[in-house]
Order: sequence, then structure tokens, then C-alpha cells
Amino acid sequence: MKTGLSIFIAAFIALGTSWCGFVLAPLLQLGSAQQTVILQTTDNWPLQRTGAATLGLQVYRAYGCAACHTEQVRQTGSAFEVTLTSLGNQKPADFIEFTKSLFVLPGLANYTNAIAASLNGWNGGLPKTLLTATDKDVATEMADRLKAVGVKSETAIIATGPDIARGWGSRLSVAADFLYDQPVQLGSLRAGPDLANIGVRAPDANWQLAHLYAPKSVTPNSTMPSFKFLFEVRKVGASPSPEALNLPKEFAAADGFEIVPKPAAKQLVAYLLSLKANVPLYEAPFTPATAAK
Amino acid sequence: MNLTENNSSCDREINDSLRVPLLALFGGAAVWLIVGLVLGLIAGIKFHAPDFLGACPVMTYGRVAPAANDAVLYGFCIPAALGVALWIFARLSGQPLALPLVPVVAANLWHLGVFIGTAGILLGASSGHTWLEYPRAAAVILFAAFMLIAVSAAATFGWRRQQELYPSHWFLFAGLLWFPWIYSTANILLNSHQLPRGVVQPIIGWWFANNLVFVWLALVGVGTAFYFLPKIAARPLANSGYVLLAFLTLVFFGTWCGIPQGAPVPAWLPTLSSVAAALTLVPLLAISIVTLKTVCGSNVSCKGGPFCFIRFGVMSFIVSGILYVSAACPQYSRILNFTWFGAAQTQLQLLGFAAMILFGAIYELLPQVMGKPLPQPALAKAHFYLSMIGVLLFFVPLVLAGVVQGEKLADANIPFADANTAALKFLRVSTTGQMLILLGALLFAVNIFIMTIQWKLGIAKTVIAYIKSPLETAEVKS
Amino acid sequence: MSDENKSSSVPSAGEPVATRSAAPMWIIVTTLVLLFIGGIYFDRHSGWFNPKVYAPYTSAENLEGFQPQSGAAAALARGKKTYEAVCGICHGPDGLGKPGQAPPLAGSEWVVAKGFNRLAHIPLMGLAGNIKVAGKDWSMNMAAMGAALPDDDLAAVLTYIRSAWGNQASAVEGDDIKKIRSGMGGGSQPMTHDMLMAMPE
Repeated sequence: MKTGLSIFIAAFIALGTSWCGFVLAPLLQLGSAQQTVILQTTDNWPLQRTGAATLGLQVYRAYGCAACHTEQVRQTGSAFEVTLTSLGNQKPADFIEFTKSLFVLPGLANYTNAIAASLNGWNGGLPKTLLTATDKDVATEMADRLKAVGVKSETAIIATGPDIARGWGSRLSVAADFLYDQPVQLGSLRAGPDLANIGVRAPDANWQLAHLYAPKSVTPNSTMPSFKFLFEVRKVGASPSPEALNLPKEFAAADGFEIVPKPAAKQLVAYLLSLKANVPLYEAPFTPATAAK
Repeated sequence: MNLTENNSSCDREINDSLRVPLLALFGGAAVWLIVGLVLGLIAGIKFHAPDFLGACPVMTYGRVAPAANDAVLYGFCIPAALGVALWIFARLSGQPLALPLVPVVAANLWHLGVFIGTAGILLGASSGHTWLEYPRAAAVILFAAFMLIAVSAAATFGWRRQQELYPSHWFLFAGLLWFPWIYSTANILLNSHQLPRGVVQPIIGWWFANNLVFVWLALVGVGTAFYFLPKIAARPLANSGYVLLAFLTLVFFGTWCGIPQGAPVPAWLPTLSSVAAALTLVPLLAISIVTLKTVCGSNVSCKGGPFCFIRFGVMSFIVSGILYVSAACPQYSRILNFTWFGAAQTQLQLLGFAAMILFGAIYELLPQVMGKPLPQPALAKAHFYLSMIGVLLFFVPLVLAGVVQGEKLADANIPFADANTAALKFLRVSTTGQMLILLGALLFAVNIFIMTIQWKLGIAKTVIAYIKSPLETAEVKS
Repeated sequence: MSDENKSSSVPSAGEPVATRSAAPMWIIVTTLVLLFIGGIYFDRHSGWFNPKVYAPYTSAENLEGFQPQSGAAAALARGKKTYEAVCGICHGPDGLGKPGQAPPLAGSEWVVAKGFNRLAHIPLMGLAGNIKVAGKDWSMNMAAMGAALPDDDLAAVLTYIRSAWGNQASAVEGDDIKKIRSGMGGGSQPMTHDMLMAMPE
């Protein structure tokens, strides 16, 4: 580092490489991404948002909701889950006896304890999850063995992780989920719960509006501030507005008054209801619960 | 002696050329620091009383929190760092500041940009990308102002008397290149009408945030520390080989960090970032060795003086760097991502590292530039202790809150609300820390404003004296 | 400290100077070791720049292992993919056909017929001459586009066009195509309207 030029060159190369790697390469690789197909269907994902929901994203941005909420589901692993759907003509007790004969098989030996524990005290209720294995061969072998004795089972691919166990999504979030977001609001702090799947978790627009107006009215231990300024308290006219919020007494407006959402609140709710992370994609595979039909 | 006379006249020229630009940069920076810390305190209080100032859309947490962070970074850290860098360049060049009017204009432009930006966020015009919230108009102004200051700094650098470069030159000069590049790229792509598709936006956002908050602040902060520590200790900077290695590894590896594990982006991006984060341990190690070797054994009695500020700043940098690397480590990131841990690291980087080094540098250089001692040295001393305790009380509870919250979130059997409440207990302590930092910043502002007012009064006196003096005397003198 | 003696820059006006020395070997070796370990980690976890591989999946093979591989829906999805690559160019991704190029498949009586024997012959043998589709006369030549497709793929395509765009007809299995293929004889003449009408539905 003898001259200004050599510093310039070192800094230029250093920043230039990371610019190519983290700006140019993602632009080329993901910048022209198109809709993809939901796994095992011909439906496209994601769908373009409605007008109200698109405006709602701007409300979400303007109030900085992403300061406390993330919109990304994390997944720690994937597994194959073998679930019993019918015991055929076997009795539960017989079946438990039968499973003991499986444990001598090399692949299944590792799952002895887990299977025995899950069957402990089982009274024959179906469907019953028998085995969760990260190795596909183990799951296949189990299913084959069950089939051989006339027991019906289904093998599902499941995503695992605390986020998924909390119901915050069925699988990890991937690039495709954010295709139409302008701007993408991933968030980096979970002072409030993740919203990637809120449209599935709380699909009731009235619940969402009540939650925005008075969070404690629907979740008593909420730490979310109230967004009262997105609502209008007005005198009930000739007849009550169909949009008026239906709140518990301590949160409701005084007699003769009603609380109605302003357009921004309705747009925000439309946006929240459009957030879903419950469809399988090639890059985030799982077996949806409805696929068994 | 002739040489000394030359030196002192040269010193006077340098100080004269820097006085106006530095006062413009530092004065505005002090205001923004207080604005940022007050907004930060409001945001902090909202976690204990969610509906505090809740009726007012301008004061929503989601607006106040980014406005606070941006005011501290863009309002205080960057202009203060630029001012300090101008001073260091002029000193190391042995030349007065080149184009001294340009930074004066730029400083006012810069503060205008921060004003528009802060107002924009509070009124809901935020771009929605972290650290890039300022609306387009503000971003354009900030970019132009930076370029003007960079031109003046580069010209001062280019006209230096002594050709040999000092390590601070590397860090500060690289910083001059770094900011315009990342800021223009990020704003052109993320602050435009048609944004790139989907997750390309956050990827660019993370690249920018990392290169600004981690790399750029490290470049100017460490560059400043490596100038002032040996200067105050009157010892040479230890071992330039380590410094060179630290510089090169910082720019080559540090720039690749920042994409969080588990982000909804193809696996190669976060993987690359976590490899780079592990390699960032090398500059952290080298910088700690150099600092230890330079500082240890020096007998500076600094009791709250500039040396203390800067030493504390370097220590904060090392701790903040280690926190940054551990959050990028896949095993830990599962727990630490999306918790207060990230906020703790950012705040330590801003208030514990960058701000502390800049306070120290300003306390050291301002009396020289103004040609008179600090008006209230006791306040500066109090500022140090308030800031130090404040930073510790601010970030340590946040780190603990992050770990506790993360561990509870990782167990799906614990309800979300419980994880949240567990973290909020720690936040009470960190709000206290915020108050102490704010108090310290007020003392800092007092010193700066008294100096500015004294200087303005001085000018006024000279002008009045000149007007009052009889005409003949003036003629005789000329 | 001995380092200080090595100081060589001229101190000017109280500016700090740096002691000259090279970085020691151990820290350079540490850097290289970290780089090496980082390289191995990248190799194992990055999916090598594949845009479809996300953590926790570590490679394209790892992700492929977790793909569902059976079921009617899978066949449909495969049929759509093949259709869009082979047939959609002329018949359109929406199955509406293109004037002057190819007749529509959506709502075509040939496609949704009860049996798929005649339909299957068209991609297998090709088609020439006049044909009436959905009330319009077409006179186009079509090459034996499906002759080279594996049985399962062609079956998937036929299943897809028989169930997409509002069409509702039964699925086609790979074995059916196999039977039709083996019953075709060796002829390579394209089908005509009359030849199709002569064979069973």
C-alpha cells in the first residue's frame, strides 16, 4: 500500500467482486423469475395480488410493520412420515406385536425406541403416525412391510422446524413467494409473530380488523400497539354500518357511535389475508394435508 | 527554530482551513445524534407501553425505530466521520484542506438530506428497505453531498507533501470509494419506481447494509483509531504488517458478509456469507493485536479523555464483530436470527464503536482546530462515563434478551407470547442505557455549541472592532 | 520494545508513524486454513449456485430425494411440462391453437372423445389433410411429434390436454400408449381424417 492508486485498486477489486456476487449474480439468477407451478398440480404460484392487497402492502411499508414482524418461515429439515390409515383385519394389540418383528431389520433398528414410544398406550385410533424418518429408504421399507401384512399406510413428506410446528407456514419461504412484492418486507425481528402464513392462520377479516383496532381485544397478552388512527369513530346513521367492528364491551365505542375501518385498514387486511405459505413447490416440497383425498 | 515556526504556521493554516467545514459537519451531527437518540428512546418506551404516543401515526414504532437508527447513522456517524477524515487527511498531508468551501456547502446539503429523509420516514414515505428508508429525494442529496466532501478529501490526500502513506490513509481512502458505490447501487435498484423482482431486493439490501454498517463504519472507525491512538500515546502504531493484513482481509472478506442464514434465498448466498463471516475473524484478530501492542504500556492518563473514548470504541468493535460472526454461524443463527440479538449488535456497532471513536476524535481535534481548550472539559469527562455505562447497559441486556427469546422461539411448545415477555424484561434495562447515552450526547452537544457560539461571537467582535476603529488607523495599517 | 527501533518513517509535525514489519506467518496460515475449511463447508452446503436449492437442503440431489414421485397430480404436472415444451409452441400454452398453425385443443371433440385411441394416433403418426375441429375446417400437416416420447410422457400429455382448459375426459395410462403403439404396425404414413374415422374410438 505505497500509493493511493494501490489502495484504490485493492478496494475496487474487493467491493467489485462482492458487487458481482451479491448484486449482479442475484439479478441475473432471480431477477427475471416467473411464476412457478405448485407441486403435483397445474396451478401457478404465486398469484398476482388484488388491487386492495397491493395497496395494503404500501400501508404495511409506510407504517413499518416489518420492524416487528417477519414474513419468512424457516425450516430446519425434511422428513418422511409414515401414517397408518387402516389396520386391515388386525387388532391394535396384534399390530403392536407385529411392529416388534420389524426392529430386527437393519434400516428400522434405529427407530425402535421412537416407534415403541409412539405406540405405547395407543388404543387403535386412526390415522396414527408411526414413523418419522429422514431417510427415504427407511420410510419405503416400512410402508412395504406394512403393505405385506395388509396394513394400509400413507407416506407424507413433511417439513420440520419450530416455525412450522407453530403453524407459521407449511414449509420454508422461498424466492417464488415474494415474486410480486414491491417492496419485499422480509423483516428481521420477531417482536411479533411471523406473518408469512397469516392469511391461512387467521383468515377472518373481521378478526384482523379488530386486532388492528384493539389488539388486546382478541389476544389479551398482545404487545402490539393499537392502530386506532386507521379507523373512524362516528355517529351511527340511519342504520348501523355493515362494516362496523364488533368489539367486546370495554373496547367498543360509546353508545350511538360505531367504529368503521378507513380504506387503509381494509387494504392492510386484504394484504395480510393474501399472505400464505401453505403450498408445496419444487424447491420446498411437502405433502399437503389435502392431497390424501 | 525555523522548522518549528514553519510547522506552527502550517498547523495554523490547516486549522484555519478546517474550522468552518468541521463546525458545519459536527454541529449538525450533534443535533441529529440527539434527535436520533430521542426517537430511539421513544421507540424503546413503546415496548413497555405500546400505546405511548399511539394516537399519532407519525409516532408509530415502525416509523420511529428506523428514523432513529438512520438519524444516528446518517445524521451523526457519517458526517462526523467525514469531518474527522478531512482533518486526518489534512494533518497527514501537512497541507490545509483543499477546496475548503466545498465541504461547507456539502455539510449543509448533507444535513438537509437527513432532515428530508427523517421527515419522509415519519410521514410514511420510507422505501421499506433497512438502512435505505430515506426517500429518493433525500438519497440524491446525501449522495451529492458525500461526493463533494469526497472530492475535497481526495484532493487534500493527493496534494500531500510526504508521499509515504500512513495506515489510516488506507482505511479512510477506501471508505471514500466504498460509500458512493454501495449507496448509489442500492438506491438506484431499491429506491426506484420499478424494483427488481422478489428476493433480489433484500439480497441487495443486505449487501448494502453489511457494507455500510459493518465494513464502512469499520473502515472509518478503525482508520480513525489507528491515527489517534498512536498520536495521543506518542508511540508508533505497532506492526504495520498486521495492519495491512487487517485492511486487506476486512475489505476482501467483510464485504461478503451480511446475508442471513435461513433467508428465503438460494442456499449459496447465505453459505457464502457465513464462510466470509468466519474469515472476518482474521481482521478482528489482527486489529485487536495492533491495538493491544500500541496501547499497552503507554502511560496516557486519560480519565475520560479522548484516549478512553477511542480505546473503548475499538473494544466495542471487536465485541460487535464477534457478535456479528456468531450470528452468521449456522448453529447459532437458528437461535439468534429474528431476535433482539441483531439489534444489539447493530446498536453496539453504531453507538459503542463508531460513535465512541468519533466522540474521542472530535474532543481531541476540535480544541486544536478552534485554537482554544474545550469550554467544559468536565462535561466531556462525564460524557465518557455516561456513554460507556449507557452502551453497556444498552447492548448487554439486548444480547441476553436475544438469546433468551431465541431459545424460547426455537421450542414450539412455548407460546410466542411467553418468548416475547421474557425478552421484554431485559428491554427495561436497555431503555435505561438509552437514557444514559442520550444524557451523554447532550453534554457533547453543549461543548460543541458553546465552542461554535464562542467562535461566532469572536468573529462578531472582530467585525465590530473593525467597523468602530477610526478610518485613518485602518488606512495606516493597510 | 524492539519494534520501535525499526520505525523508519520520518516523523513530521507530531504525526503518528507506523512500525514496519511483515505480518507473521501464523496469521497468514490461519487465514488459509479458514479459507480451506470454508471451501469444504461451501461445497457441502451451497448447492453450487443452484437457484432451486435452499437451506436446509444441501444439494440438488438432496432436494430431489424429497420430491413426491407418484400420484395423478404428478402425472398431470409432468404432462403440462412436456406439453409446453413440445406441443404448446403451435397449439398454444392455453390450448386455443393458433390460426394458420394449429387447431385448438380446448373444447376439441377429438381431444375429449370418450376413447383416446384416435387422439393418441395423431401425435404418434402425424396428421395430414382436412379435418374439422370445433366447428371449423383446418387443413394442416402435423409431424409425428409424439413418436419419440416415452409411453409415460405421451400418456401424461394426453391426460393433461384431456383435463386442462375446461376439458373433462378420462386419464390415459402409459400401458394404454404401449398397446396402441404395438398395434400400429410399421406404417409411417401420417393419419388423415378418414383413417382416423375408420378406427375405433
